[in-house]
Amino acid sequence: MGTTGTKKSLWGRVFLFSLSLALLFGGSVYAAGGSPIVFGVPTALGSIEGRDGWMAIQMAVEEINAKGGVLIGKERRPLKAYSIDTREHEPGIPVHDALTAVEKLVLEKKPHAIVLGAFRSEILMASMDLISKYRLPYICSIAMTPAYQKKIVQQYDKYKYCFRNCLNAIYLVKYLQGVMGFLNEQFGFNKTYLIVQDTLWARATAGGLEKWYEANNWEIAGLDAYPLGASDFSASLIKVRAKKAQVMVPIFDMPQSGILLKQARAMKIPALLCGFISPVAPGDAWEVFEGEVEGMVNFLFEIGPIPVKAVPQSVAFNKNFGKRWGEKARLQLSGHGPGPSYDAVYIMADAITRAGSLDPDAIVSALEKTDMKGVVGRIRFAKDHQVVYGFDPKEAALGIAFQWRRADLRVPVFPEMVAEGKMQLPPYMK
Amino acid sequence: MISSILVYGLVNSVILALIAIGFSLTFGISGVANFAYGALYLLSGYLTWMLLKYAGLPLALAVPTTIAIVGLLGFLIYWIILLRVRGIVLSEVIATFALGVGMLEFFRWKGFVTYEFTLPYFKKGMMLIAGVPVDYQRLFIIGIGLALVLFLYFFTHHTRIGWSFRGIAQNERTAISLGIESDWTAALSLAFGSAMAAVAAISILPLGIISINMGYDVLLIAVAVGIVGGLESVPGILVASLILGYAQIITSMYLSAEWMMVVYLAAIVLVLAIKPSGLFGKFKELEERV
Repeated sequence: MGTTGTKKSLWGRVFLFSLSLALLFGGSVYAAGGSPIVFGVPTALGSIEGRDGWMAIQMAVEEINAKGGVLIGKERRPLKAYSIDTREHEPGIPVHDALTAVEKLVLEKKPHAIVLGAFRSEILMASMDLISKYRLPYICSIAMTPAYQKKIVQQYDKYKYCFRNCLNAIYLVKYLQGVMGFLNEQFGFNKTYLIVQDTLWARATAGGLEKWYEANNWEIAGLDAYPLGASDFSASLIKVRAKKAQVMVPIFDMPQSGILLKQARAMKIPALLCGFISPVAPGDAWEVFEGEVEGMVNFLFEIGPIPVKAVPQSVAFNKNFGKRWGEKARLQLSGHGPGPSYDAVYIMADAITRAGSLDPDAIVSALEKTDMKGVVGRIRFAKDHQVVYGFDPKEAALGIAFQWRRADLRVPVFPEMVAEGKMQLPPYMK
Repeated sequence: MISSILVYGLVNSVILALIAIGFSLTFGISGVANFAYGALYLLSGYLTWMLLKYAGLPLALAVPTTIAIVGLLGFLIYWIILLRVRGIVLSEVIATFALGVGMLEFFRWKGFVTYEFTLPYFKKGMMLIAGVPVDYQRLFIIGIGLALVLFLYFFTHHTRIGWSFRGIAQNERTAISLGIESDWTAALSLAFGSAMAAVAAISILPLGIISINMGYDVLLIAVAVGIVGGLESVPGILVASLILGYAQIITSMYLSAEWMMVVYLAAIVLVLAIKPSGLFGKFKELEERV
């Protein structure tokens, strides 16, 4: 008994000694390059945009670490990202709950910067004071309200840490205007019906479009806003049909919105669907909605989920995403967020290197001077800390409109500079 | 526009009735307000989706399987949970509500939150009724709603279990003295109510997407319709569904869709202030008169 006890004790000591050696000299990714640089990722991980954005961030972090980490002065330090689910995309989640999650991440993980960030504009706006309080360089890659930039410009010293590299509602309106102009020229359409979700960014987009329609002699047959979680759009569809609207413009990012398309087809509404329905953007939407997506012109707020030949980085991102997370995940890539989330890691890492320190003010100065090529095209921040979007990826970041043609075919149709096909009327409108 | 309101008001009313009738049936017989009802509705949707997607069952087989499983679950909820707290109203509510929230949040935790959870239409296509386009699924819903009401009438008036349902609903003590087993009947009422939640889910969910918050919405709808019509009264449920269904469609047509949910809440407040038992309810009628 005693002998067995001694043997056990001996083996225990050997194990502990080996463990200590392993911890001291082992292959920890952090051992060679000092303490890691920490990026916080507080977002709605249950949304497809948040889920894919987080996957894209992990991919970028792995790539940077595989190359030795982030260079600060003469030292390379590894990168580490921590996420927290704010659940802000769900109906009924109070702003305060989401903010508590953000602060929990900040206090527990002590990040040096935040990437991806808020999903909902309401949370983004409410987060700004928190970001300012902790002086955290912050790149938002999903929430879209233009009020964010306005606040940054108005109180620069307080909110200078806040940046955004995804599309915002103003740029979305510009893209939509371009497509509407094209539809008017090509098919003579001039009567529209807007169906939007009742959130800041979608309302702002609808407001911007309304002004353009009025200035360009379009008739607005109606505008309906639906609360988050709504899934019966028949009331609007009846009105679209009764008022003979030619173009139906949906603006939604909630998961339930995909069903609008199915309902419109079931009711045989003779209008072209052209706008943004988040669940219709991924490559598996044809299968999910049983082919009812055919002919819809949907926006991809930032390229990457659909590779655009004119931007090789978008092609590489799309391919590598499939390698890292599997073909199913690649097919399900959402139309908003993944490209900018991936880019945000590189933008921040590049700014830290150029700043040569982790001082937040130095990083902000470096971020303001960013000029690089990423998944979404050329990345430069305007004075209001919004990445500039445009029609030429050599000059600006790029969003596109694509049209569903077949189960495996989403054709980029706008802007014309990068279009890979012409917009066509869907079979039910010919 | 009037014909659209008439047609879609009717469809909406039948949808509300389908959702509320199972909740009302259970309450009317056993006196249990099953606050897990919304979760059972959602479970039915996910279960059917999984049977179709993973088990590869045809819809015709997935539907009865789901109804049977959810009905059985309702039966077990009574025997395992509610039997111990029967008669303590607050405990019944807490137990069923906790169970419902637990089920809903379990689905959220397991990632049932994206756009891919949809059920297929029974039959694709549409027809014009008075110039108004109506898809076949909505016509199926009207048919199923009517069939369910007829079935309930036949069942409660012409079968032994139905008689025991009515006996317990009218006066539990007298029914027990006549040999009707109270717990067995109450468990069956839970099973029937749950099965009806499944029927409603399978009929209505193809029109939308299966999402977690729907579980909470369905509970709110069932309670709102019950409060307006009278929680234990099937005719009350039908009348309340018509009132709320048409009020919602008129609201969405002439105001905006975002106001539709307000109709339920306004109706609850109004009815509780004027006639707390609901239009056809009898539970508090004597107290109200006094």
